[in-house]
Amino acid sequence: MKKSRCLMCLLVGLLVTGLVVGMTPTVSEAVTKISFWHAMSAKRMPAVNRIVEGFNAEHPDIQVEPQFSGKYKEVLAKAIAAARGGSPPHIVQVYEVGTQTMLDSGAIVPVFEIAKAGEIDWGDIIVPIKDYYAVGGKLYSMPFNSSTSILYYNKDLFKQAGLDPNKPPSTFAEMEEIGGKIVKSGVAPNAVSFGWPDWQFEQMHTLHKQFYANNENGRSARATTVLGNQEFGVKVVSEWTKWAEKGVFIYGGPEYSANKAFLAGKIAMLYQSTSSVGSISKAAKFEVGTSFLPRLEGYQKGNSVIGGATLWTMKGHSQKEYDAIWEFYKYLVRPEVSAQWHRDTGYFPSTNTAVKLLMDQGWFSENPNHVTAFLQILTGIKVPESQGVRLGPFVAIRQAFKTALEKSVQGQLTPKAAMEEYAAEANKLLKEYGELYQ
Amino acid sequence: MQSKFPSRLLPYLLLSPSIVIVIVFLIIPSLQSLYLSFFRVSPFGDRLIYVAIDNFTNLLTPDYLNSFIVTVVFTGAVVVVGLVVCLALALAANQKVAGIGLYRTGLIWPYALSPAVAGTIWALVFDPSTGAFSYFISLASGAMPNWRTNGPFAVVVITLAATWKMVGYNVIFFLAGLQTIPRELIEAAEIDGAGPLKRFWNITFPLLSPMTLFLLIMNTLYGFFQVFGLIDVMTEGGPARATEVLVYKLYYDGFISLKTGYASAQSIVLFAFVAGLTLLQFRFAKRWVFYQ
Repeated sequence: MKKSRCLMCLLVGLLVTGLVVGMTPTVSEAVTKISFWHAMSAKRMPAVNRIVEGFNAEHPDIQVEPQFSGKYKEVLAKAIAAARGGSPPHIVQVYEVGTQTMLDSGAIVPVFEIAKAGEIDWGDIIVPIKDYYAVGGKLYSMPFNSSTSILYYNKDLFKQAGLDPNKPPSTFAEMEEIGGKIVKSGVAPNAVSFGWPDWQFEQMHTLHKQFYANNENGRSARATTVLGNQEFGVKVVSEWTKWAEKGVFIYGGPEYSANKAFLAGKIAMLYQSTSSVGSISKAAKFEVGTSFLPRLEGYQKGNSVIGGATLWTMKGHSQKEYDAIWEFYKYLVRPEVSAQWHRDTGYFPSTNTAVKLLMDQGWFSENPNHVTAFLQILTGIKVPESQGVRLGPFVAIRQAFKTALEKSVQGQLTPKAAMEEYAAEANKLLKEYGELYQ
Repeated sequence: MQSKFPSRLLPYLLLSPSIVIVIVFLIIPSLQSLYLSFFRVSPFGDRLIYVAIDNFTNLLTPDYLNSFIVTVVFTGAVVVVGLVVCLALALAANQKVAGIGLYRTGLIWPYALSPAVAGTIWALVFDPSTGAFSYFISLASGAMPNWRTNGPFAVVVITLAATWKMVGYNVIFFLAGLQTIPRELIEAAEIDGAGPLKRFWNITFPLLSPMTLFLLIMNTLYGFFQVFGLIDVMTEGGPARATEVLVYKLYYDGFISLKTGYASAQSIVLFAFVAGLTLLQFRFAKRWVFYQ
């Protein structure tokens, strides 16, 4: 009896303290709190925290609170759940695939609406980034972490296989030949794998001046069909499947899971986002080389496409909070902040000024692997095909592609049949989504 | 002996917190799911199109059928392998040997891990390029099993992981069941000349049947509903939907592909299915379960 009374006292005590704690924020009302949900895992997380800490130190009246909320797709799902529940965060990092979903959501405040004229020079934003995210010449979300895909390769394995470490494959045919030599020499069980295989398929389209979906990739009007089941898409998947049959290519799973095989020397080459430059260079126990993505011969040249994410401002907050968010965005594009972000992660700095700053500091000459992505995207040709795909149900479409690719490289379906299955599902998704927004 | 409440209202008052919780967190969301299952819903839920039973007829696709088959095969494997192995382990852990406490603790251990942690461990051990298991397999056979590209192998790995995760739970209950069996019965049989196998089949196993039925239901529900964490961490339903069980498909369609209406329809079907399964088990189980 006595025991239970003690417990009761304790519970009541806890409740009261809970209430008190719950009420205290009134004291610190002067500080504007900004919640910032992001998906930056591993080495990217401390880089985000570094930016936020720098900003908070400079702004005693604003407190940005970064919260790692899982993978990109999970962050998007959580933000949607929060918005539907009536308590959205202030800032959400949404990957490029979610762009159309966010534009359609009715739950966001476009960045140009909270912007104060003249405080950010939009002309200074790196062109391919602006091209990807601008709608009708206006930015709806704040550029933050942009990347593109490049080829990483293990120079030590190249040497061991008797290959020239300064001559990575630049075409599909060379990939097959060099990859075949690597496998045959026995230095690694397989030659190449992809990070984000679904994104690599998009890269192939933009790189060869091919549309991924109709209506100019869904930019001139809502896309109604994907084009992956046409000659070009089938060709790419057939090539990849052929590589897989020869053991040259090994399917490495989604997102960053193939990095492990590359770092362990089980593959000699990796297609991966530039955002892995930082972590791969640090973790690799071999000499890392980087180069442009290999191309198919006989197709026109386009450009590699931007990936990564932007920051979206959510509806439902006060003007004071939007002012604070704007301060944070201004801080993000400061040349030194943007440059540091690039140094820590490998993501593109968002402005040309930051690129110049990095160049002047000698960063690029000391870290040649950080230049590759710039050169690839700046030597590409600006065409509508390479400006990035905008599809409402893009997340589901990517999943459909990934499943089809898995079926093809496993030999469960022929490349053509796999792409037909993918296109049928994707087109159904586009139709259903489009009807919602008619 | 019978005791009475002083007031007729009091029992309802005492029950009310539970009733409120059930209504708010179970009944209302279920009704909402039922409602949404007749609509196509935009990702942010701001637009609805009434589609009648389209979401349900859309379930008659090869993908959903595939998920259904995967779930049945997977759950069957988890239940059969899990119960057989765990009963054997429990019998072993019921012996009087030195250090038995240590063995028992070791057996129960995995249950304390969260599915995410367990998934990460298995993903590391079976990683196609860097995992210890893959390494030994490739040493032994020369071939590299890769669950990122080999569907059936992925199912095997997930089954192993899921079964391993339930070992602690099953062993505890089997052990408890074994310890309630009166020693006299077994000793009497022994004196009558029954061998260990006969003793097991004719005494231990029937007396254990209530526990076995309980575990059968719990493991079936586990296979159906609670393997989400493992699959999400390890395979994400892949490769090529080989490990896409119904629950994972529901999650993916609802929260990643953002098709709320379609996912709601799936949840209704899943609910009906599991409710039916549980009823069936209870009804038929009465015929062969021996309650003391």
